[in-house]
Amino acid sequence: MSNYIVEFSKKVQTALNNLPVNEITKSLNLLEAVYERDGRIYVFGNGGSLALATHWVSDFNKTVFSHHLDDHSRRFQAIRLPTTEEELTAWANDIGFDQVFAGPLQNYLHDSDIVIAISSSGASTNVIEAVKLAKKNKIPVIGISGFDGGKLHELADAKILVRTLKGEYGVVESVHGAILHLMTNYFKDYFNHLWTINQKKKKKGRRSF
Amino acid sequence: MIVVRAPLRISFVGGGTDLPDFYRRYTGRVLSTTVDKYIYVVVNKTPLIPKISARYKISETVDRPDQLQHTRIKAALLDLKLKKGIEIASFGDLPAKTGLGSSSSFSVALLMALNALQGKKIKSFEAAESSCRLEIDLVGEPIGKQDQYAATFGGINIFEFKRDDSVNIIPVYLDYKIRLEFENHLLVFFTGITRDASSVLKEQKVNINKKMFTLKQMADSVFEFKTLLESGNFKEMGKMLHQGWLRKKSLASKISSGFIDQLYKAGINNGAWGGKIHGAGGGGCISFLTPVDKKNAIRQAVKKVAKSHKLSGFKEVPIRFVQSGAEIIFNSER
Repeated sequence: MSNYIVEFSKKVQTALNNLPVNEITKSLNLLEAVYERDGRIYVFGNGGSLALATHWVSDFNKTVFSHHLDDHSRRFQAIRLPTTEEELTAWANDIGFDQVFAGPLQNYLHDSDIVIAISSSGASTNVIEAVKLAKKNKIPVIGISGFDGGKLHELADAKILVRTLKGEYGVVESVHGAILHLMTNYFKDYFNHLWTINQKKKKKGRRSF
Repeated sequence: MIVVRAPLRISFVGGGTDLPDFYRRYTGRVLSTTVDKYIYVVVNKTPLIPKISARYKISETVDRPDQLQHTRIKAALLDLKLKKGIEIASFGDLPAKTGLGSSSSFSVALLMALNALQGKKIKSFEAAESSCRLEIDLVGEPIGKQDQYAATFGGINIFEFKRDDSVNIIPVYLDYKIRLEFENHLLVFFTGITRDASSVLKEQKVNINKKMFTLKQMADSVFEFKTLLESGNFKEMGKMLHQGWLRKKSLASKISSGFIDQLYKAGINNGAWGGKIHGAGGGGCISFLTPVDKKNAIRQAVKKVAKSHKLSGFKEVPIRFVQSGAEIIFNSER
């Protein structure tokens, strides 16, 4: 039994050791840019990836400014698509499963927004449909994929690929979870740091950022 | 109606090597960052008013684009074959001609807005290249290409200008700690003097043959600056700026002046590691890289110099670096 546990953790460790650092950095900069222009972030995926998307949205929206909520009237606006199960089933039943993300995305999409697409295979048709819609509108796409990256890796502007053997869903999704938490932590630490600097400036009577 | 916002930029090293007379012989390189000061361009269709209206420092209303005084708007409308029923207005966080690339930020925003008005969204290379074409080829400005690229892409980048006219972008990735430290070590002042980049650049262009060696040094120093920046070595970066200042001054007589020299000396004498005058020179903005505890002394010293020259427009410009490039921030045509 212990071998099995060690084997699994080794796979996760290998994937963690090979994180695409530059692409994650690029994603963080894209997210900072969307904050600067007060745009919105749409995130989606199937199954476990949808669960990751939902988990991330709740963390990201709630905790990034949690240090000093009252001092930040502008906050991130992350939205999981579709926003309700009712919409999900309505789009799937009435239009088709390949439109469950692209359909709601079209409702919301503005030029100042950004998309995070999560797919372990990088090949899910409904994810790709929504990514194509974003690309058509010149909206930046952060693609979080696994295995060989698939079509999502090809289309994304920031290509976060957790490269593994095909079918390693557990490994890929575990590492995706870590990357998403990294994004939340980064902005939480950043805005907390900035707040501290601004407090010092206020004390000295200088104009804050 | 469409509103496009494009950031201004501060370039640190390599300015001048983005001119074709240089980069057609040797790869030009510039390291710059976009800042939280923006140019806004608003365009609107007026189907019931068959005129062209342009509102900037002045207001023009004409029947045909070729009657406009504003060279960039005129050239863009003629090129895009937009004949009438359109109004264009621009707004800026800072005055024009401050050396922070505002005219190119305007061009990028204008072209993104006019294209979007016709249902075509342009971004990244297409937006940057068409802005270069507008300013350099159609209007005939003797300027380089760094500003159009900086305004389009946003963030801290090295732009490489290749012999074949292509541009390579190398992003400089910094985490927030170094970025905030960098901001904290930087002081930027608007001199209160505005000047046209063209007059300085025309002289610089003529001088390019004589100055090839200096320009090569400037282009090559970009990677060293990047390495220092990535490790947060602001002192050495400041010293590099000082070297760059000395080199840039040797390029054209109009880059500096008695007043600018005095300002610069005031900064250095009060503890700044180095500094530079922004844009083509002759006025605009001046900035210093400095130890944090010397900032107040420098502020007081440069203000004194400005006062002695009766420059009421002289003021500190608080800036933050931004990641965003030119973006459509409102589009009612969607």
